[in-house]
Amino acid sequence: MTFLELVNFYIIPGLVLGSIYALGAVGITLVFAILRYAHLAQGDLATLGAFVALAVVTGLGIPPLAALPVAMIFTAAVAVGIDKVFYEHLRERPKIVTVMASLGIALMIRSVVQVIWGVDAESYVRGIVRPQTYFGLRIKDREIYTVLFMLFLVGGLMLFLARSKWGKAMRAMSDNPNLALLSGIDNRKVVMLTWIIAGGLCAASGVFLGINTEIKSMMGWNMLLPMFAAAILGGVGRVEGAVLGGLVVGVAEELSVLVLPSEYKAAMAFVILLFMLLVRPTGLLRGKVL
Amino acid sequence: MKSKFFALALAGGLLAATALAGAPAHADVKIGLLGGVSGPIAAMAPAMIDAAQLAFQQVNEQGGVLDGQKIVGAVGDSACSPQGGTDAATKAVNIEGVTAIVGPHCSGAVLAAAGSVTIPAGVTVVTPSGTSPEITGLADNDTVFRTVPSDDFQGRALARTLKAEGYSKVAVAYINNDYGTGLANAFKSEFEAQGGEIAGFAAHEDGKASYRSNLADLASGGADTLVIFDYGDGTGLTLLRQALENGFFEKFIGGDGMKSDAPIKELGAENLTTFYASSPVGEKSDALNVFNEAFKAAGGDPDAIFVTTSYDAAFLLALAVEKAGGDKAGIPAALRAVSSGEGEAILPGEWKKAKELIAAGKAIDYKGAAGDLNFDQAGDVPGAYSLFKVGANGFEVVSEMK
Repeated sequence: MTFLELVNFYIIPGLVLGSIYALGAVGITLVFAILRYAHLAQGDLATLGAFVALAVVTGLGIPPLAALPVAMIFTAAVAVGIDKVFYEHLRERPKIVTVMASLGIALMIRSVVQVIWGVDAESYVRGIVRPQTYFGLRIKDREIYTVLFMLFLVGGLMLFLARSKWGKAMRAMSDNPNLALLSGIDNRKVVMLTWIIAGGLCAASGVFLGINTEIKSMMGWNMLLPMFAAAILGGVGRVEGAVLGGLVVGVAEELSVLVLPSEYKAAMAFVILLFMLLVRPTGLLRGKVL
Repeated sequence: MKSKFFALALAGGLLAATALAGAPAHADVKIGLLGGVSGPIAAMAPAMIDAAQLAFQQVNEQGGVLDGQKIVGAVGDSACSPQGGTDAATKAVNIEGVTAIVGPHCSGAVLAAAGSVTIPAGVTVVTPSGTSPEITGLADNDTVFRTVPSDDFQGRALARTLKAEGYSKVAVAYINNDYGTGLANAFKSEFEAQGGEIAGFAAHEDGKASYRSNLADLASGGADTLVIFDYGDGTGLTLLRQALENGFFEKFIGGDGMKSDAPIKELGAENLTTFYASSPVGEKSDALNVFNEAFKAAGGDPDAIFVTTSYDAAFLLALAVEKAGGDKAGIPAALRAVSSGEGEAILPGEWKKAKELIAAGKAIDYKGAAGDLNFDQAGDVPGAYSLFKVGANGFEVVSEMK
């Protein structure tokens, strides 16, 4: 196998897949940093986002990238609504209750998607797209903009967290919610903001997965484990860590085929997850909360 | 004190359960219809369930079973997975109280549901699409049947056909479940026995977003033909798309699971000119024509995959219920009796005639839409296959497979 083949068939697909995982993992890591629980409905929120974008694409006849903002806003609103209707009442209870509740939410979202859009595989654009060749690298346009959009969204988020007033409030609440409350930060608004960001990123990961493969009602659920592995690998609570984790998990999954029988590819994320929890539970970038 | 209360509650609960379980015996006869409504064969399942419901509808219109009771199909979602199959079968057996089950649809679901639910409960299942060779060897007390031939036949027939048509070097990608593994192994052993070369043979997990590394690995063997044993609504579609987009292979051969409309719908027929799929077909017969007319009249597509086997499974079970007098334990023997190859021929939809013959104590022999369906020792049936290509109006037959 030549170096170019390695890059074309293993590294590039891994990076694209990793970018999709990264978008979801950032949401997971944010929710964990601020609300302190693992949100298991993250994958199915991504599915919802992908299907909302599908509805916009088929309804208005616009390209999926143009439908992305609509899907992000809609999913963000749904995420906030779910928090208000379900999680808010469980805030004072042990965290595990909310984790289990989120599993229930995941099933509910998936069922709603299946009722509205059915269970068939769909795609935004019919037909196939063959990749372009740049200096021997076989890349599709959509793969380039998947990675660029991920970097853009995450870059924007990091800037927001570092510079803006509400970003600082979110970080303060992540460090110590009680202290943040005493300093006059409205925790409820921070929680809402967290869900807006997490929901929007979820939708983005779902839409990009849909653009690069197909849209199926199980797509998000199947992504959940790699996304959690990515968040933990990078260090829970660290946005840049989730991106790094996502890319590493994506590439590791693809590269695993070189050394392991391919049916174990799906187990790769699990192996990474276990290994990190055993060896370095704080993650590569030393997460704040674990 | 507490334990006494618990014991009382348990006794009360059991009493209530017995009362509930006893009740439906005098009302309708329930037959479970377990199908992969969600999951990787979701696009195929509705037509299959409709076909089975058509059989029940015909039975009910022509006098019903036993003393004019109606047959009710209790639909359950086996999700094409072992877990889903077990859950759906548990619900059908314990809550719905079904007399017998049509389904589940996928091999993994059949094996799991049979092993953990229906065999212990003594409920007969007839799967219209569980094709794994594993099902043949189940220690099932004669309660597991199928109206679809085992993949042992399909894999070997496909291998012989490909070899005969000049394919000598292929790579095989199969989904890592009972269906994919069974079919792939049968194909491999026959293809190699015929002198062909398998230049790549790898399983893959369901539901991943990218299979390019898997495909690159398979393509490194140098074959230009990829044989895919997977589901066309699920991972098989992703695999096919990525193989086409990246030019890993030139020709593609699918098993019956790939003969789904999803690849045509999502990838476009113009991109699938080198894609062929094998599938069990009904042998041309009067029974098949009768079924086709009836299913068309009911608004169904008789060419959809597994509709003939689904219809036959449902109609056969209705005959068996009638023959066994509604006795759950007598259904396996009755099932063999109504389709033994001896007696008056019964075509699809001829319920009234069959009922009268059974009442008169005469032997009947159901001639199904999918074939004669004379079960062997293991509850399997022999089958016929054809190779399909994608034409302007969906799948078209290229050749029969021997």
